[in-house]
Amino acid sequence: MIYEICNLLISLSESFSFCRLVNYISFRAIMSALTAVIFVFLFSRRFILFVHRHCFLDQVRETGVQTAFDKSGTPTMGGVLIIGAVLVSMAIWGNWRSPFMLCSVAGMIWFGLLGLWDDVSKVRRKSGDRGLSERSKLFMQGLFSIVFAWICVGPYAPLGSALATKVFVPFYKYPLADIGPWLYGLFIFLFVIFVSNAVNITDGLDGLAITPSIFVVAVLGIFAYVEGNRIYSSYLYYPFLRGAGDLTIFGAAFVGAGLGFLWYNAYPAQIFMGDTGSLAIGGTMAVVSVLLKQEMLFPLLGALFIAEAISSQVQDKIGVRWIGRRIFFRAPLHHNLQHRGIAETKVVIRLWIVAGILALISLATLKLR
Amino acid sequence: MVISILAILILSSILAGSFAASRRWKRLEAPNTRVVLSGGGTGGHVNPALAIAEGIKSREPETRFLYIGVKNKAESVIVKKAGYELRFVSSEGYPGISPSFGTLRFLSKLCLGIVQSMVMLTMFAPKLIIATGGYVSAPVIIAAILLKKLKIARVRIFLHEQNSIPGQLNVLMGRWVDKVLLTFPQTLSFFPNAAVVGYPIRHSIVPIPSEQARQRLSFAIPKEREIIFAFGGSQGARTINRAIVDALPYLFEHRDRLFIIHGSGLASSADYDAEADTQRRIDKALSREQCSLLKEFYYRQDYFHNIEDIYSVSSLIVCRSGAGSLNEISRIGKPVLLIPKVNLPGDHQVMNARVMKSAGAAEVLFEDTVMENGGLLEKLDGQVLAEKIIALIESPARLGHMAEMSRNFLRRKAIERILSEIYGDMRFTDGNGGNGTPFRDLAANGCLLQMLSKAYSVSGRNFDPACVVDDPDDLAYYQHRAAGLLSHKGWQDRNLGVKLIGLTRYREKIPTLLKMLSDRTPVSRMKRLLGGDYEQVGFIRRNIIHALEILDHFDADVEKHLLAAMEDPYFEVRAQTCRTIAHFGRFLAGNDACISRVLECLEDECFEVAVEAAKAIGEIGTDWTAANALLSMNESHYWQVRNASLCGLKQMIQRGVVDASDELIERASSFILTSTDFRPHFQIKETYAAIRKCPNGKVQ
Repeated sequence: MIYEICNLLISLSESFSFCRLVNYISFRAIMSALTAVIFVFLFSRRFILFVHRHCFLDQVRETGVQTAFDKSGTPTMGGVLIIGAVLVSMAIWGNWRSPFMLCSVAGMIWFGLLGLWDDVSKVRRKSGDRGLSERSKLFMQGLFSIVFAWICVGPYAPLGSALATKVFVPFYKYPLADIGPWLYGLFIFLFVIFVSNAVNITDGLDGLAITPSIFVVAVLGIFAYVEGNRIYSSYLYYPFLRGAGDLTIFGAAFVGAGLGFLWYNAYPAQIFMGDTGSLAIGGTMAVVSVLLKQEMLFPLLGALFIAEAISSQVQDKIGVRWIGRRIFFRAPLHHNLQHRGIAETKVVIRLWIVAGILALISLATLKLR
Repeated sequence: MVISILAILILSSILAGSFAASRRWKRLEAPNTRVVLSGGGTGGHVNPALAIAEGIKSREPETRFLYIGVKNKAESVIVKKAGYELRFVSSEGYPGISPSFGTLRFLSKLCLGIVQSMVMLTMFAPKLIIATGGYVSAPVIIAAILLKKLKIARVRIFLHEQNSIPGQLNVLMGRWVDKVLLTFPQTLSFFPNAAVVGYPIRHSIVPIPSEQARQRLSFAIPKEREIIFAFGGSQGARTINRAIVDALPYLFEHRDRLFIIHGSGLASSADYDAEADTQRRIDKALSREQCSLLKEFYYRQDYFHNIEDIYSVSSLIVCRSGAGSLNEISRIGKPVLLIPKVNLPGDHQVMNARVMKSAGAAEVLFEDTVMENGGLLEKLDGQVLAEKIIALIESPARLGHMAEMSRNFLRRKAIERILSEIYGDMRFTDGNGGNGTPFRDLAANGCLLQMLSKAYSVSGRNFDPACVVDDPDDLAYYQHRAAGLLSHKGWQDRNLGVKLIGLTRYREKIPTLLKMLSDRTPVSRMKRLLGGDYEQVGFIRRNIIHALEILDHFDADVEKHLLAAMEDPYFEVRAQTCRTIAHFGRFLAGNDACISRVLECLEDECFEVAVEAAKAIGEIGTDWTAANALLSMNESHYWQVRNASLCGLKQMIQRGVVDASDELIERASSFILTSTDFRPHFQIKETYAAIRKCPNGKVQ
């Protein structure tokens, strides 16, 4: 909104030249982050009370870990707050003509709504294990992924048809291969579904999902800044993506909203993000990294999420359902650590440290190529 | 253009055809009643249909009948013999709701059957359709309903349900037929428009005075004998045949007051030849000397044509609990020992047996499902059967009471009631239930497991499954059903069976559990690569050990297997074994072999095992070596292990094995190395909980 107004003012008169500030991505990024944080601070207490009054509370769930105390009853659906903050901040500071931003916002909203549906049905059925069925969840995720994959490899690709189906890997300057629209589309389809579920699985302890997500989105935002900047991108041998800079603003808003949310979600949590938040964050991260051609960086950047998802799937699908034994003590990863006798706070902070290290290594790939 | 003309032509020909058919239907129904009978698969469905037909014939002798059945089933023999016109349609048993190839085949066969039946019905133009269930009558009923909806046929459809639990197809079609006729009042809840009429018994089975019946027999029975008649239907039942033979050695000493009539059945397929198998088994079970004496109190024949005579002379009948047999026996008024066939759809034989048992007319024994020579086999222990028979024979008062109850069990004049429903003349108006006692469903396995494990977690050592299940016979049935699961192919089923055996306290199965525990058949290579080991997967072995704890039975064999299980490759098994050893601490305290094994477990690579081992040592350790082993865990990496060692020490002090000397306290203080876990608490939640617990509060 402000972006549009300022550009209009500049074209009207010379006296509004200070408005050129909005053309600097760094300025808008900082402002959008601040807006998001302030939004969360302003509304979260009211939101928590609202959720509490309407009994959208977390339901008991069988995890197999003996927790110190009963966490059911904490207000959930905090994801609404995150999504709201990002949307408001983007409405003010975003450039709504950028296809990059539109794709990311669409992904966030779609996955957020899906998560909201799941959360509401869990509350309705009074059980943490009986929300949406796995199948219908996958179906809805797949629906978005198909459309998104088509956008990425189809005729309207925001990256341009020259880049659309090329695969970039970290630590290597040039595109590794051009694998064609079908294969690449399939890859995007699976990637988006996998990542959104991975965050969903990670969201099991207070503050565990949000901080690593902040790291991931921040790193992706820096990548977006580089790739959207003609000089930096040519200096660092990245393909120049016109308009990718808007993802920096989006990422900044996300980081701001996440920090604001962490304020309340830190142990002991006053609010959980619920599936609304975790699916939305996962969907956004997947979409952004595909748009920036950093999907191959994600296994490194988001290794924590991937480890959580894989440990959970291996335990459940291979171990418990098929072979008939436990492969890990407990799954996913954070429950395994808890089971080994590490307190929840310690598990969370240790995993934050791991996520931070991964983010640093990923940043290093900017230059190490 | 051409297509539309064709379509119009086809449509008009269909309309004309149906009009003609409906005109023909009206014309044909005028002179004399035409009735379609349908139902079959087993004699239990065919005989009631024929009985109703006899009833209709006696009222309207001019009636024409058509029997629609399925090829190569019971009806093709019985109906032909009875002299009715017989046609065949295609149909198949309902394979269940889950989609599979079976469902597809079932649907295609059913559709073909419906088309065939529509043609047959249109040709025959019946006024009445009497269906007696089984999948055989499904296409006929559906076709008739379709014809009715299309206004082609004016036919009334009656469905007779013989069992206390209706088949799935019958429940489905019961909604659309004109009336469902029931045998048991307990079935009323399944159907909106039903009447209880009883079971139409076809043969002229009537009670005959014992003396008169005895004279009509083809063989002689010595005087002053209690006569036991055991049979398994016309084809014979393997379980009953084998069980009665296995019971003979135990009944031998009572041969001067017993006489056993054994109907072995006509079955002579490659799978099971009743007569040959029974003879072989007798030769094996009895010595030559006994064999020669056998004739004095045992008579066998494959099939009895004059079954009412046999019924009339017997004091006790041993048989399956098909609806037909139950009602025939009840007509004669004899006490009965039922051995229901298990693993049938809806467990209907078990339900039938329960109904008769609750009426006080029957005793029930359940057969086991066991694995023998690689195949599944239902089996009943001969000794159990013999003991049951003797117990019943020795209390004539009980037998007399059962006979009385058996007589009352039958809903008399079933055929008359059915006719009054069919003709709507209400000659018998009391057909709507009468003594319909509320029907308690049997719990499904999953539900039962939930119920029992909840009770177990609440009451612990005082757990008693009989209190949860209420009826001891139901419990016995659940136990047998659980045992049946043990030989399933899927490990999930076996696992469920193991859990249920523990929770139903089925102690007789402990040897089987122990055998499974030590079974070392490897799984496929693929699974082994992923961490699998044996066919009896890790969960099963763990749950077997847990079941041993719940079963709360300890002997040398259990001890041997527990010691072996401490070297199991799967960590949860080892951990559970240590837990179970702690449970049996009172038997194992001071057992050196056991203690040394548990001490080895203390060094296990998996901390879960070490934790349980430390606790177990607290229960079974009897000297300072054990205490020292615990004290040496003071620098263990896992705080849980250290904590458990302290717990073990505490237990040993409380048991008075070691005393809490200053030196011990000093050494134990080294355990309080930092721990990575702690237990926070919400003060506000505790305050709230305290308010809830206030003694004068209304909440619990």
